Amino acid sequence: MDIKEVDGLTAQALAELAGAADGTALEALRVKYIGRNGMLPGLMQGLKDVPAADKPAMGQALNRFKTGVTAAVAERKAALEAVAKAAKAGAFDLSLPGRWPRRGRLHPIQQLIDRTSAIFRRMGFTVADGPDVETEYYNFDALNTPADHVSRDVQDTFYLPGGLLLRTQTSAVQARYMESRKPPVRIVCPGRCYRRDTTDATHSANFHQIEGLYVDEKVSLADLKGDIDHFARELMGPGVKSRFRTHFFPFTEPSVEVDFSCHMCGGKGCRVCKQSGWIEIMGAGMVDPNVFKLAGYDPEQVTGYAFGMGIERLAMILFGIDDIRRLYENDVRYLAQF
Amino acid sequence: MKIPLSWLKEYVDFEDTVAGLADKLTFSGVEVEGIERLGGGVPGVVVAEVLAIEKHPNADKLSLCRVNFGGPAEMTVVCGAPNVAVGGKYPFAPLGTTLPAGFTIEKRKVRGVFSEGMLCAEDELGLSDDHAGLMVLDAKWAPGTPLAEVLGPPETVVEVEITPNRPDCLSLLGIAREVAALYGTTVKRPDETLAETDPAAETATSVAVEDLVDCPRYTARILRDVKVGPSPDWMKRRLEAAGIRAINNVVDITNYVMLECGQPLHAFDQKLLAEGRIVVRLPKPGEKILTLDGVERTLEPQMLVIADAVKPMAVAGVMGGEHSGINESTTDVLLESANFRPASVRATSKKLGMLSDASYRFMRGVDAELAEFGSRRAAKLMYELAGATLLRGVVDVRSEPKRPWTVVCRPARLEALLGIAATPEEIAQVFAALELKVLKSGPDAVEVEVPTFREDLTREADLIEEYARIYGLKKLPPVRSMATIVPDADDKPAQAQARLRDVLVGLGLQQIMHYSFLAEGLLDLFDQDNAPNRAKLANPLTADHTVMRDALLPQMVETIGLNFSRQVAETAFFETGRVFRLGPDGKPAETDHVAVGLFGPTGRTGLDKFKPVDELEAFLWIKGLWERAAAALNLRGAALRPADRPWSEPGRGMEIVVDGAVVGWLGLLKAEIAKEWRIHEPVGLLEAEAKPLVKDVEAMQPLVPPPSFPSIRRDAALIVGADVRHERVVEVARAAAPAELEKIELFDVYQGKNLGEGRKSMAYAFTYRSKTGTLTDETANGFQEKVNAALKAQLPAEIREG
Repeated sequence: MDIKEVDGLTAQALAELAGAADGTALEALRVKYIGRNGMLPGLMQGLKDVPAADKPAMGQALNRFKTGVTAAVAERKAALEAVAKAAKAGAFDLSLPGRWPRRGRLHPIQQLIDRTSAIFRRMGFTVADGPDVETEYYNFDALNTPADHVSRDVQDTFYLPGGLLLRTQTSAVQARYMESRKPPVRIVCPGRCYRRDTTDATHSANFHQIEGLYVDEKVSLADLKGDIDHFARELMGPGVKSRFRTHFFPFTEPSVEVDFSCHMCGGKGCRVCKQSGWIEIMGAGMVDPNVFKLAGYDPEQVTGYAFGMGIERLAMILFGIDDIRRLYENDVRYLAQF
Repeated sequence: MKIPLSWLKEYVDFEDTVAGLADKLTFSGVEVEGIERLGGGVPGVVVAEVLAIEKHPNADKLSLCRVNFGGPAEMTVVCGAPNVAVGGKYPFAPLGTTLPAGFTIEKRKVRGVFSEGMLCAEDELGLSDDHAGLMVLDAKWAPGTPLAEVLGPPETVVEVEITPNRPDCLSLLGIAREVAALYGTTVKRPDETLAETDPAAETATSVAVEDLVDCPRYTARILRDVKVGPSPDWMKRRLEAAGIRAINNVVDITNYVMLECGQPLHAFDQKLLAEGRIVVRLPKPGEKILTLDGVERTLEPQMLVIADAVKPMAVAGVMGGEHSGINESTTDVLLESANFRPASVRATSKKLGMLSDASYRFMRGVDAELAEFGSRRAAKLMYELAGATLLRGVVDVRSEPKRPWTVVCRPARLEALLGIAATPEEIAQVFAALELKVLKSGPDAVEVEVPTFREDLTREADLIEEYARIYGLKKLPPVRSMATIVPDADDKPAQAQARLRDVLVGLGLQQIMHYSFLAEGLLDLFDQDNAPNRAKLANPLTADHTVMRDALLPQMVETIGLNFSRQVAETAFFETGRVFRLGPDGKPAETDHVAVGLFGPTGRTGLDKFKPVDELEAFLWIKGLWERAAAALNLRGAALRPADRPWSEPGRGMEIVVDGAVVGWLGLLKAEIAKEWRIHEPVGLLEAEAKPLVKDVEAMQPLVPPPSFPSIRRDAALIVGADVRHERVVEVARAAAPAELEKIELFDVYQGKNLGEGRKSMAYAFTYRSKTGTLTDETANGFQEKVNAALKAQLPAEIREG
């Protein structure tokens, strides 16, 4: 076989390889040309019969055959694999629903308890706790509510055996906490309260409040305003302001009701704020001197402010909940949206 | 309380808009709840009668009305209101009338037909926002009557809410006092000078008060020659604007004066009183009274009554009696102006279920000094409006009168409490405006004498509030909020509870919340044994909220049932909340609990969700959830022990033990209970005390460096009896293995016919690792042979090695 014939064979092999239809055909061609029992060993064998002068050229031709075929096999193999992979890729369905066992969520009331507590914690308040079952003393007497005063009618109360009651307000924690330590006091107390209200879209006999109490030397109503303004902005948005209206609570003097400017309309008036531009959020005031005296604090030495707000009411305002009962119905299709 | 502004202006001058007044009142503590406009009319608008109605030829919803408006001719009007009817009387705006919205009625075509005027709805007349239909007028009005005549003169009524501490504001004069202080003007008191005639009242009647505690004062005035008849229109209008129905001049005057000054009054027909005299006393056993509302009521021992010489004639401070009331033939009136103890009136009013304008005021407290003024004022009006002759003087029985008291306000204290500085003069000025008598005003103290009608002002703080609200809370200076750290205050318990919730949310659970009270039947279903320890509400409001919960699981399962009934096939819930049980002292004690409920394929993903869940799987999920939660909470010293609960399926429950104490349970819900909600699949439940679970949240385990040498794994499939437990396999293997056995993992359990009845295959992977070097295959094989030998002998087991 001369050089020309070898080169011809190379060309033929490359052409056949390029046309190999699949892996099997490709393998057959590889075996035929460069396999252990294929053409290449025979050709190499024939090299020794080539005249010496032609040997280098023949050697190069055989080398071209070997490397050319080897490269062509690899190339064709890669090409065939690429085609196969592309064909497979179509069967990999990216649109199938993703898989992860489940997702957890906090109840919206809990979310708001956590959100409000977090804001107050940042302001240096400690989260305190008190019992749901209270005595008349802590729920009323220690909060300066006279036994025969009309305000005991305002909050109709659930009673339990042993002369106990279900607290009607988280304010009941105030006296308990003050009795247990000396000023300064800076606490918030989120918790459950109960009132003998008929449950409807906006009332719930079982509800939550968060109460705040700050007692120190020289705490003023203006401090309360500053702190509440800050809370309003953190909770509802940077532009939100608060305003105070004179009110009455037995345990604070002066007492105020606090409105926040409407976070939805910025105070222009909308459905959420009933066109008033303001939303009633909490009751607050300066701790009544009698409350201090009953707790063993000297009202000449310390002053303090207290505030309290309803968590359900906040949830309704912030989440746009139309009916308070949905919060206790626990339909997961509703709860999972918060 | 409703305040007609034209009436208020009789007692105080102020220059402001209605909105401005409402704003000032609201911020100073008299909250304005609503503003209502009455009366008035629009110039030119008159009464019209609709004579005939035809359909509009070109519009379905419009009609053509022939109207008579008292003018020279009938007019045809296009009307779209749904309530227009033949014979109806409505406000009519004739051509050329300008309506409040600013447009003038002209003759113009509406869908091709000329309309000659307009029938009006309330909103078009600026009376209200009502546009539901035409404003319907009484049939008595003749066509052509000006609307202003129909509606009466314009009036604005401001409705206010008075807080319990300010009973002095429950009158027009009380509100006038507030307005005067807010605007710096003065109150004009109404005239109460009387033209009296002999003989003296005390010759014509007598008053005996048996209980001066509950009735600190009783005054009676005698009026003769009274002519009962209708009140003048101005008085009727004022009463009606204030929300009180006009009856006759005598009764109307008592109501009018009550609204004016806050003193409730009652007029008796003296001729109907036995012996014409008054006895204020407690009822005799079994005494009854027919009250003015026509109901016969049995009097209880503590209910104070106003009686004549024989029987009760009125319930003191609450309501008059039918038998002594003013009637058309009344000529002699005994006018009561008295004072009753708030708690006494409140108790009586509550027991009888009667709330009147009088009892409302007495319950909040009326100044005893007001009785005289109210009596004189009513007598004067009866003289003027009912032709009454007034017998001289008044019979006045009373306890020791309350004297005005003094209170001091220190400007320094005011600044400390409010954060606003004020001079003594500024403070004194505010107090004087509120009719507090300033006795002394210096840099250290402003001392005032408080009039008896301001019982709420007894302490310095009360005066400081007065200053703040009149000065204006809107002017509070903006103080920058400062975070203040209280040393050694810590809220770790609250943080630990939050951590527990975070862990459960992280494990994919949805938090739910239920009421703390419920119907007892649901609790019984889960644990009847605890019934004696439940805390029952003494005064429940509804039958489904009668007892405090002693466990969280009953409501948990009810909620799973509710969601299931709404086709929710999978729920994974948790709740943290308090449970209540009676302690040994009979008083309810409360404990924080946590509960978990798993229903449906909660431990699976994807297409596997559609395969049914068997009991073992459901049990292993609730157990697995517990194990993961306990690990995440870093809980040490926790174990599970088989134990059934009244709510758990027998043999499917375990108790949770922490440091040797049982703190909770987990397991599968008993099938009989599940049936209540038509649930037939397994429900995994857990309930435990919350506090023991979070005891180690802040602790750290000693750190162990990751291993330095590789491990070797050997597998073995054990063919064992079906009753051989995983726990036992681990126990035997551990006992036989060297310290190098790092872990034993079960990776397959199989029961099939080919294994034979009563047998199963359990496949385990054993991982060996040395702390000192790399293990060789031979060493590992040696370890495994020992383990296998022990398993074979002790379980017993056949072994296929992997």
